[in-house]
Amino acid sequence: MRHERATEEAGPTRDLPKSAPALSLDELETQLRPVFLAALAGDAAAYRLFLDAISVRLRGYLRSMLARAGRHEPSEVEDVLQETLLALHLSQHTYDRTSPVTAWAHAIARYKLIDHLRRSGRHAGSLPLDDEAYQLADPAGGAASEARLDLERAMAALPERTRRLIDRVKLQGASIAEAAQAAGMTETAAKVAIHRGLQAMARFLSRRGGRPG
Amino acid sequence: MRTDDLIAVMTAGHRPVDTGWLRRATWLCALAALALTVLLVLLILGARADIAGAWLTRPVIAKALLGASVASIALVLFQRSLRPGLRPGRSLPLVALPVALVAGWALVTLAQAPAEQWGELVFGRHWRACLIAVPLYALVPLVVLYGLARHGAPVDGRVTGACAGLASAGLATLAYSLHCPDDAAPFLATWYTIAIAAVAAIGAAAFPRLLRW
Repeated sequence: MRHERATEEAGPTRDLPKSAPALSLDELETQLRPVFLAALAGDAAAYRLFLDAISVRLRGYLRSMLARAGRHEPSEVEDVLQETLLALHLSQHTYDRTSPVTAWAHAIARYKLIDHLRRSGRHAGSLPLDDEAYQLADPAGGAASEARLDLERAMAALPERTRRLIDRVKLQGASIAEAAQAAGMTETAAKVAIHRGLQAMARFLSRRGGRPG
Repeated sequence: MRTDDLIAVMTAGHRPVDTGWLRRATWLCALAALALTVLLVLLILGARADIAGAWLTRPVIAKALLGASVASIALVLFQRSLRPGLRPGRSLPLVALPVALVAGWALVTLAQAPAEQWGELVFGRHWRACLIAVPLYALVPLVVLYGLARHGAPVDGRVTGACAGLASAGLATLAYSLHCPDDAAPFLATWYTIAIAAVAAIGAAAFPRLLRW
C-alpha cells in the first residue's frame, strides 16, 4: 500500500523504473550515478530526475530516523528533507566522481539531521546515527507532506527581485527562460540570482536557533 | 513551500558543476600559504647563518621531507574530508608513517651515541623556539585552509580540523627548516612531532565549532 502511494506521490520519476521506491541501495546507486553525472554536466532534466528519486529515498531515511528519536510529525520530516535538498544543491561540487552518489547524499542528510536534532534540543546520542545506519533505513519513501513554515520564512528574507524570480519559477511553473525574460534579465543572470537566493535561504536556515559563534 | 516546488526552483537554477575545483583549490591554497609562511620565516627569523652550505645536508633535507610528506598526506585527506560520504578519517594514521621513520632514525642515532650526549641530542640549543615557532607559523596555512573548508561540506569537523592542523604544521615545518639551526635527529623527532601534534589538536578542537553549515 505504502509503496504504491509513494510511487504516485513521488511525482515525475517516470524515466526511472516504476518500482523506484522499493529499490535496494545498490540498485538505486546503479541507476542514479549516471543520472547525477549527466546533471553535473549541466543536464537540467537529469538533475530533476535525480532530485525526485533521491528525495523519495531520503524522506524514508529521515522519517525512520526521526521516528526513532520519538518524532512523528510528517511536517518535521519535510523540513529536514528540504534543508537537506538545499544543502545537496549547494554542495554538488563536493561530490567525488569515484564514490557512490547515494553515500554522498546520505552523508549530507545525516549531517543535517544531527544538526536539526541538536538545534531543536534533542540529543542525537541515542540514535543509531553511525555511518552505516542508512543502509537499514526504510527504503520506501512514503508520501510527501506539507512542510512547516521554515523555508517560507527563509524566502521572505530574500531581496524582492530574487523572491519574485523564484516565485515565478515555483508557482507559475515558468521555465527559467520565461522567468528571466519577465524579470528583464538574461537567463544566466537569472540562474545566478536563483543560486544566490538558495544560498541565502540555506544560510538563513542554519542560522536560525542557537548557533554557537 | 512544497518539496516539489523547491526541486523545481533548484532545477531552474541548475548549471554545470565543476567537481575538481576543491582539489585544485586545496593545492593552490597550500602552495600560496607555504610561500607566505616561508616569506614570514625569512623576514622575521631569517635563514640560518650557514644556509648556503647546510641546505643540502641530511638534517635539513630530513626536516623538509618530514614537513612535506606530513603536509601532502594531510592535504589529500583534508580535501577528501570536505566531500560527504568519503571517510578520510580512516586513513589518518598514514600521517604517522613519516613521523615513525624519523623516530626510527632518532633511535638509531641515540643508540650509536654515548649516553652522556643524549640530552644534548634531544634538546639541542633551541627546542623552545621550535616548539613555539612551528605552531605559530602554522597559523598562516591553518587560516587559509579554514577559509577553504568553508567552501566544502565537511560532515566531520574534527577530521577536517585535524587534517588541516597536520597539513599546516607540515608546511610550517618545511618553512621553519630554513631557519632551525638544530640538526640532530632526536631533536627533530621530539620537538617537531610534538609541535605537529599540537597543531593537529588545535585544528581538531577549533574546526567543529567554526565549521557549521
